[in-house]
Amino acid sequence: MTSNTIAGDIQLVGLTKKYGSSIALDAIDLHIPAGSLTVIVGPSGCGKSTLLRVISGLETATDGELLIGGLPVADHDAGDRDVAMVFQDYALYPHMTVAANLSFGLRLQARHDRRGGPSKFDIAERVAQVGDLLGLEKLLDRKPAQLSGGQRQRVALGRAIIRRPQVLLLDEPLSALDSQLRASARGEILRLHREIGATLVLVTHDQHEALSMATHLVVMDSGTVAQSGTAETLFHSPATEFVATFVGSPAMNLQASGGGRVGWRAGDARLLGADAAGTAAPDGLLVTGITEMCEFTGNGQQVSVRDGDRNFALAQREGERWLRVGDPVRAVIAPHQLHHFDQNGIRRNV
Amino acid sequence: MRMADRGARRTHRRRVAGVAWHLTLSVVTLTMIFPVLWGVLTSFKPTNEIYSLSPFSASPTLEHYAHAISDWPVGQLIGNTFVMAAGVALGQLAIAILGAFALAFFAPSARGLILTLLTISLAIPPQALIIPQFLLTAKLGWLNSDLGLIVPQLGASALAVLLLLQHVDALPPSLLNAARLDGTRPREVLWSIVLPALRPAIAAVTILVFITTWNEYLWPLLVAPRQIDTTVQIGLRQFETAEGTNFGGLLAAATLTSLPILVVYLVASRRITDAFLQSGIK
Repeated sequence: MTSNTIAGDIQLVGLTKKYGSSIALDAIDLHIPAGSLTVIVGPSGCGKSTLLRVISGLETATDGELLIGGLPVADHDAGDRDVAMVFQDYALYPHMTVAANLSFGLRLQARHDRRGGPSKFDIAERVAQVGDLLGLEKLLDRKPAQLSGGQRQRVALGRAIIRRPQVLLLDEPLSALDSQLRASARGEILRLHREIGATLVLVTHDQHEALSMATHLVVMDSGTVAQSGTAETLFHSPATEFVATFVGSPAMNLQASGGGRVGWRAGDARLLGADAAGTAAPDGLLVTGITEMCEFTGNGQQVSVRDGDRNFALAQREGERWLRVGDPVRAVIAPHQLHHFDQNGIRRNV
Repeated sequence: MRMADRGARRTHRRRVAGVAWHLTLSVVTLTMIFPVLWGVLTSFKPTNEIYSLSPFSASPTLEHYAHAISDWPVGQLIGNTFVMAAGVALGQLAIAILGAFALAFFAPSARGLILTLLTISLAIPPQALIIPQFLLTAKLGWLNSDLGLIVPQLGASALAVLLLLQHVDALPPSLLNAARLDGTRPREVLWSIVLPALRPAIAAVTILVFITTWNEYLWPLLVAPRQIDTTVQIGLRQFETAEGTNFGGLLAAATLTSLPILVVYLVASRRITDAFLQSGIK
């Protein structure tokens, strides 16, 4: 194992968390690079929130090692790990003003360490700075109950970054917002990541959110890491069938092929002309069926095609041939765009 | 047409039910108020009219009040009762806050057992414990003292602990987790996060215990029988003499000593209703 002493670097070695006899995290080995925006994604119950809570120190690992900035932190309490967290419900202190919410951690630091802790002047300055960064200047005297969802989220972000942590953990930070606010909050988090330079670890169940934000993407499945890497890597060469079907929308099409399965993305299929029925198909996988359902997606069309007792998805872009319900479909997928999996669902390179 | 008919009939039936319900409530309320009202009215009647069935006297008088104030240590008794009720309320509150917080925040492995014991203790009638409690208090030399009136009654804090525990448990866990990540020590979580969030519940429990203790009869009667040390409820017995009961004095004194509780009700009636509804006590 290579020890990395860069601030914000997170290393998990054989990390295991059990609740009684059920295993929430199963010997996880994972490296979260310093300064990355790492998104952990997976279906509910896959252990992604547990992983976040173990990193934060709110839960203790049953077994394994956890290093933050190169230091083992198993013995450090949650407040002493130089890690901050934004909770799904924001968890703002309801009886404190925005300014008091932001400064709470710093005020505690000052009280616990009268010499080394921040002075009153420092605290006021940092509150002003964070307020400025997140556009909270005019809200500092309000109570959380007087804020909108988006404002509350910015206060929660501000409270997390005010102590300048190495690592900022975000547990489903966008799930409580409506879809319009979500887009702007996503931008806000990306901007914040650029400006504060900390490692951001964000947990979500929304693969679209994950693909669009992550510099480093981790897909989890039933307590294990299915694959980690850049979003492009996971999208273009998924390590398992699970990753293939979980990442990307619509899910990758899979069909039986020679003992294992072969998969292809909806957008990679090329329609052949209806008149080409008799001609020899070009190289690649040929699929045929009848158009069953068409969804207009703005700049394209998502089509569900029925072939005997199974369905597959096609995505037609603007300018390509538009399909209508009942249209016969013949499409081909080029060999280099096919993904092969063995009978255990593991990627096979051919 | 038929639909409208049925709708009208339903509204009509609902209105009849509403009237019946309010009539019942009014009757019950009047039944409960009547003795109190009769007592207060009687306290203004001259002695020779005490047993008269007319609610108002032709010559109302304040003589019983004058008598009660001059011959009866009303200030002393109210003071004693207040010290006892406030002492018990604050003591139980301190126990309940610390106990509920410890049970919720540290979640000890014996939490279930402790909760069971607390609940069982509610089912033990206080009369069953009164003799050992009395002997203990006597051995400690606390008879006829505030300590004797207050400390043994702190043993009955289970209800307060359970009530507050419900409220601590109802706090969102993320709130306590956020505080932990902010670097709070347990004492600071209690002081800065839990107590402010629990303020209404704490007020409710305080009032509940205060009123229950103010009305306590058996324990002060045993521990502080001496007239100068005792509470209002016991002091009222002084109007029952060998020559019979001085009803005028008794009712005037009872009216006077109800005033403090009445003031508490007027100030905090909303909180009191909530407190009693939450505790499931009548």
